[in-house]
Amino acid sequence: MGRQLLTDFELMILLAALRLGDEAYGVQIARQIEEIGGRRVLLGAAYAALDRLEANGLVSSTIGNPTSERGGRARRYFRVTPRGLRAVRHTRDALVALWQGVPQLEERSP
Amino acid sequence: MTTRRPPRLALAVLDRWLPDSSPLAGDLTEEFERGRSRRWFWWQVLAALGIAAFRRSDEIRPLRLVDLQPVDAQERSRRRLLRFEPVPLTGTGLPGIGGLGVVALALLVTLLAPVLWFALVASMLAGIALGVVIIAWHRRRAG
Repeated sequence: MGRQLLTDFELMILLAALRLGDEAYGVQIARQIEEIGGRRVLLGAAYAALDRLEANGLVSSTIGNPTSERGGRARRYFRVTPRGLRAVRHTRDALVALWQGVPQLEERSP
Repeated sequence: MTTRRPPRLALAVLDRWLPDSSPLAGDLTEEFERGRSRRWFWWQVLAALGIAAFRRSDEIRPLRLVDLQPVDAQERSRRRLLRFEPVPLTGTGLPGIGGLGVVALALLVTLLAPVLWFALVASMLAGIALGVVIIAWHRRRAG
């Protein structure tokens, strides 16, 4: 027991942050989910989820330098922690296990 | 090259109601400079306020099957206990009239239209009388 399973949105956020690496901040994470995941993202919802993930120790954040194109505001960069990585793997394993043995999902549409 | 300026009022609203939203405001500004519309900007700000309103910031919601509590759980609980709502005393705040505002209003009514006090008392007495009649009527029907 003790395995962490993520909601679909939390999983998407963590995957986007992993893809982005050192460039993972709010807008980029939301853009990745929209462009690759095909899901519209409200930035407020993304930050709410990221705050929750950070409180649970699945991501950590650092504040960058303020830039003029952001009105003098700094970026908040997120990094997936080892615990977050484990949660992603556990969630993937659970989904794959559930996926198997479902006849309706074995047929591929032409 | 001219730079677009994001809606200042929207940013002020965000700063006022979401104190820790500087990175979010920066992200919105960055996107706005890349061509997003004012409507999109306002929609994001209002949505962020709505999400924050429905989300308890001090909520400790462990993910499913989590065996550990958040590392800052105790600190957040302590902060929640220390939190208090400010009471407006100057009567200048937009959300409502404060204590001094009520006093000023009462003084104005007393000086300019004291008859309004009689109207207020009369309406209160009429309300009480109406309530008594309604209660008596319901009791009579029930009996």
